[in-house]
Formats: sequence, structure tokens, C-alpha cells
Amino acid sequence: MSGKFPCSEWAPLMEGEFRGIWVYLEVYRGEIHEASLQLLSKAMEIADELETYVGGVLIGYQVDKYVDTAFEYGVDKVFLVDDERLETYYPNLYGYVVSELCREFKPEALLVGGTMRGRELAPNIANNLKTGITADLTMVSVDKENRDIILIRPPFGAYMLAHIKTRWGKPVMGSVRPNVFPMPERIPGRRGEVVKFEVKDLPMPGMEFIEARDIVKAEEIPIEKARVIVSGGKGLGSKDGFKLLEELAEVLGGVIAGSRKAVDAGWIPHDKQVGQTGKTVKPDLYIAVGISGAAQHLFGIREAKVIVAINIDRDAPIFENADYGIVGDYKEVIPILIEELKKILVKAE
Amino acid sequence: MYQGCPRVFNVGLNIVVGIKYVPNTTNVNIDPKTGTLIREGVPSVVNPHDLVAVEFALELKDRYGGKVTVLSMAPPHARAGLEHVLGMGVDEAILVSDRKFAGADTLATSYVLAKAIEKIGGYDLIIMGHETIDSSTAHIGAQVASWLNLPYIYYVTELEYREGYFFVSRELEDRVEMYKLSKPSLIAIKMHSRIPRHVRLENKLRAVLDSPIKVWTNDDLGLDPNCIGLRGSPTVVSKVEFTPKVPRKNIVFEGDVRESVRKLIQALREEGVI
Repeated sequence: MSGKFPCSEWAPLMEGEFRGIWVYLEVYRGEIHEASLQLLSKAMEIADELETYVGGVLIGYQVDKYVDTAFEYGVDKVFLVDDERLETYYPNLYGYVVSELCREFKPEALLVGGTMRGRELAPNIANNLKTGITADLTMVSVDKENRDIILIRPPFGAYMLAHIKTRWGKPVMGSVRPNVFPMPERIPGRRGEVVKFEVKDLPMPGMEFIEARDIVKAEEIPIEKARVIVSGGKGLGSKDGFKLLEELAEVLGGVIAGSRKAVDAGWIPHDKQVGQTGKTVKPDLYIAVGISGAAQHLFGIREAKVIVAINIDRDAPIFENADYGIVGDYKEVIPILIEELKKILVKAE
Repeated sequence: MYQGCPRVFNVGLNIVVGIKYVPNTTNVNIDPKTGTLIREGVPSVVNPHDLVAVEFALELKDRYGGKVTVLSMAPPHARAGLEHVLGMGVDEAILVSDRKFAGADTLATSYVLAKAIEKIGGYDLIIMGHETIDSSTAHIGAQVASWLNLPYIYYVTELEYREGYFFVSRELEDRVEMYKLSKPSLIAIKMHSRIPRHVRLENKLRAVLDSPIKVWTNDDLGLDPNCIGLRGSPTVVSKVEFTPKVPRKNIVFEGDVRESVRKLIQALREEGVI
């Protein structure tokens, strides 16, 4: 659907022909972030359906060295803004540059990886262009006839999926959490076109980067990369419950995680939260302990190969969404599970 | 009244905090037949991440002096949420409320908020929460910054005000970054980085007696009705459907625990996951 935007005070970008499915390629710690590369698999699908190209937005200083990587992961055209003044990331400055690129080259869609920086940047770009933006989309549906790109997201705790249509404004914009789409296949030697662009009159960011220091974390596998996850919820009753879960995780060579309720209770840090507002995980084995199975949690484990539920409440929805379940008190079940596992793991040696 | 040490830098900061009054989705139930939220009996609360933002603002006021104004765009029932933050000690609360604002997406919402902040005027710092618990978009901060052309930064955990600048620390996935921001700026506070203070009855009483909650309608803001609410929103929800369920085996072991555990281990070995 098109039609005229009713507001006369500010108008979204909508004149002319918009072509190309763009992905913002976030450069972080000397490489293009995986969360950006993952979007290329979806961008290629959309571009195929609409018979258009995949664009990659690459901005910063001395970032031309990432161009080949972008091509090999599926970008057809890289839009490159390489400027010393863009050496440091400032959300308002980068937001300005990306929106200037969009004004100049008129893409019909722009996807941004939902890293913490991506979620900070994307709405600023959308607002500069006065276009709509959908956060944390999980699916895309293309209406070829009307050349409409519908972004689909789960609002309200993931029970439902909302189809979001952008009535006015281009590009259609969305952010996508890491690991929602798979990494595209890398094709060594694949090349494309580089479009260099200079932004005139770069504004002053009004802020200055001082320094950064790494957060020193115990050497552990992040939950989004773990093969086995033992996860706890409100049913654990206390922070102490996680000690038992840690023991089980250790036996299985896995890591611990938690539901939103466990995070809200302060039993486990937010970077270990599984679910719609936490992380999407893809382990071979996911053991949910004392987790009732709210849709927002199930959303984060839909890609798990095997789900095991341990819960005292036989009616908890988690059982309907698990492959295997044991009804019982985790304080009784887990020690026995650890004991039995140790037997077979010893035997295997 | 105990005064403590005299303030060395009594410069004062004029702070505006944006909050949202949301259904308490952590306790929400779903109608299994229709799949929709059962809103009846579900109390609304101030978005918990916004209470952290209010706490952050009040701590800055405690340290540097000044004034904290809280702003919310919502239907009239959000007054209860504003009374809550007045009880925490904020100086002024403004409810921007008009049927004409209904149905707004984040762009049209941020437009109204930005215009309300302009009307408040004279602000040094705008503070938002990390995201809301109902829609979790985290859009509004970056959008308001765009409307007002302000420097902004998310995930802030600390702020020091020195020499007319804000020195902030913010936490990303794997590193802490420090920035110096000029005045005025907008920041969003990282979730769980503060514990919101309790409501004090004397503060709340003041709210009731002096009724400092101001209500602004669109007559006060004077915005073109075509730029607000559903009409000013580029995005609409065109369809809603159930989230498809991932098929699972649903094998449940009950009864003797050791027997159940053995069956489970057997099954997991057959699956090849242990």
C-alpha cells in the first residue's frame, strides 16, 4: 500500500524507486559482527523474491578491508563510507551517516543486527528517515505483488506473532537478535561492487569516547554457543538451587542459564537469560529445571535439539513443549541424575 | 533536618525522565482459547526498568541538586504510575494524555514525547529506561534523541557531572565504555543497575495534596492530528497469529525417580546428545 503520508510537518522518505535489501554491517573488535552476517541469509532470500540486490553498509575508518568478507557472505554491493572522523562509533553520528546513505541510494529494506550497539543505533536511523522500525523481528514475509515487506515479531511474551506492515516510509526497517537467522554459507572468492560515498557536512557528535576496558569474565562458554544447557527458573525457589544445576552442567560438559524470572530475582545474570528478551540458544540438549514454560521462554529454545523438563508441577506448560520430562522435586531428581550420569560416563572411559 | 556536608558543587541538573505504565506482563495469563492476554485483573505497574531510570535521576539530584521531572504518554489511568514516582521523590510529573495519541507506533510516540520535552524546556539531561517489559523495543530513547538532535547513549551504569559535561560509563556485552557527553544529552540506563527506592508516604501525600501531576492534552502541545496517534504512525499491525508450536515428543516419566532418571538417560543416549 502506498498513498500519501498525512502529516505535513515531517514526511518519511517515499518518493522515487526503492530497490535493494540492505544489511548494516557492524564492525566490532576488528571484524564484521556475526549478528550482521547472519542477516545476509535472510536478505538474500528477500532479494531473490523481489529480484533485487543485497546491499551491505560498511562505515568507519579503514574499513575497506572488510569488503571481501561482505561479498563472500552474500553482499552484492557494499556501500562504503570510509572517513577518519568515523573512526569512533557514536550512535548519533553513525545514525546520521547511515540515513544519508539511505537518502542517496534508496534501499527498500534495511536490517540491523540486534547487538547492544545495533539496538541503540537502528531506531535513530529510522527516526532520521521518519520511517517505521520493527524490533526483534523473527520472520519476514514478502508480498511480491505489492512489493511489500512484512516484518513479523512476537509481542507480549511471544504467544502471538504480529505482522508489521510499513504503510509509509522507506526503507522498511527492522532489528534482529543474534542467532535468529543462520550464518550464510561463505563462498571464498565471491566478489561484488563497491560503492564509495562521502558524507558532506558530517555533524559533530556532541560526545567523546574516552576509553574502554574489557569485562573480565570467567572463561566460560557463552550460552548461545553451548552444546548442553542446564537452565533454572522460579521453581528453584532460591539462588542456591543453581549450585545443583551447576553440578549437573559440569557432569554434562555444559553451562547454566536461567529464565527471566530467575534473572529478575537476581539469581543469575542477565547475559545468561534465555528467552525472547534474553538470548536465543541452540544447544543439542536443554534441561529446563523449575521453569514453567512461558511462551517468551519457549521462544528462546525453539531451536534446541532435545528439551528435557524437570518440574514438580505435572500441569506446567513446559511438559507440552519438551521431548522428555520428569515430574518431581528437582532437589531429589538432580542428585540422582548426576549419580546415574557419573556411572555411565565412568563406564564410557 | 540533617543537612550532611554542604554541597560543594551546587550546580543543579534539570532532569527529565520518560516512563511507561505497562500491564504487569510478568504475571499475565493467556486465554488458551483465543491466545490473547487476559488483561482483567492484571494490575499495571510502572515499567520496572523505568523505575531504575527514576532512581538514577534521583541519585543525581541527591548529588548535584536540581529538579527531576517525570513524563509519561498514556491514558488517564497512568496517573497511578506517576503518583508512584512522586512517592519516590520526583519533583514534578506530567501526564501527556489524549485520545488523539492512541494507536501510535514508536515513531509517533517519540514525536509527542519530544514535543512535550521541548515544552518542558531548559533540560540538561533526559533519562530513559533500558526497554519496556511489554514490547521491549528500546526504540524511544534513540528516536527522541533524533527528534531533538541530541547526543545519546544506552546501557549507562554510572554518570558523573563535571565541568559542565556528563562522564558516563556504559556496559556492552563484553566491555565497559566511557564517554564524555555535552549538555543536553539523552541516556538510557542499563537494566538492574540500580534498586529503585521505596515510595514514601509523605512524598505521596504531597502529590495528592498539592496535586503536582500536570495533564497535557494535544491542545497544550498543539500538534497536527495527522502527525500523531495511528495517523502519524508509519507501521501498523496487519495481522496477528499464534506462534507456531515446535513439535516435541512429550514423553513424561512419572513415579519412581531413579527409574525415571534411568529411562531419561537411556532416551538421551539414543538421541545421541549425551
